[in-house]
Amino acid sequence: MKKSLYISSQAQLETLIGQYFEGMTTLEQEDAIRQCLAHCPWSSQAIDDARMVMGYFAAHAEQQHNRANRATRGLRQRFIGIAASIAVILAVGGYVLWHQSQPNDVCIAYVNGKVVEDNDKVMALVVSDMSKMDNAANAMTNQLSSLGEALELDNE
Amino acid sequence: MKRITIIILACLLATMAAMAQDGLNINRLFDGRYKKTAGATEIIVTGSQAHEIGLTIYHSVSLTDKTQAEIIENAVARDGARAIDKEVEFRNGQLYYGFYTMPKNKRSNRYIFFLNQNLARKAPKNVVTLIYMEGSASADKIKKLIRK
Repeated sequence: MKKSLYISSQAQLETLIGQYFEGMTTLEQEDAIRQCLAHCPWSSQAIDDARMVMGYFAAHAEQQHNRANRATRGLRQRFIGIAASIAVILAVGGYVLWHQSQPNDVCIAYVNGKVVEDNDKVMALVVSDMSKMDNAANAMTNQLSSLGEALELDNE
Repeated sequence: MKRITIIILACLLATMAAMAQDGLNINRLFDGRYKKTAGATEIIVTGSQAHEIGLTIYHSVSLTDKTQAEIIENAVARDGARAIDKEVEFRNGQLYYGFYTMPKNKRSNRYIFFLNQNLARKAPKNVVTLIYMEGSASADKIKKLIRK
């Protein structure tokens, strides 16, 4: 495990701060300065300046991070909004199409040019239609069965 | 962009062609022309009443005008040529009875019945009937329905 740098005196801290402003510090040393500035009780012109500058950068970095988060969240929300809108449009469109494809309730007949709107009377006409078809279909079946019977008789 | 426009146009044309094929010749006979004709009976049942018998559309015309019989028979014969299943009976070279199962329209089954009672052996009548049915009902169910 990597051992972190420990600042044990105010003088060491001030030296490191001096190196920090000259751009001579390593990342590890910068972390140590930040840790120390946050917790140590020491105070001097250099330490106070460093606290102010590093505090600003820290705050700024956090601000940047928050802004980026907000932007990501905003994008995500916008995406969700668009997806939801598309889903709603598709659902409404689908329902409208389905509804249009469903025939309306109609039960009507025209007999000799006269309109019949009574459901029971119209349905009675439907039954009458079907009965006609049934008779014709039966005639076909009867014809087939009589053909079969004739063939059987012929073969006997 | 040009390619996309061509693809969209091709899709539109294909859809239109498919829709045109979907139409039946008998449809034009159901355009309301017989509503006010003497001796004609036209029945239209859709929605809940049709639903009770497993259908979405029930449309029929019965005519006593002999001149119309040929027109109906021709339209039925043309549609019948595209039927996926049929039961037909000809008498004296004329269509007497026809039960056609047509290709599905979307998810609905479609059936055409035709009967020319002029050609009936027992008690012929001067009546020609055409029925169009559409719905989820199978051909067997339709046959049971007419035998009720």
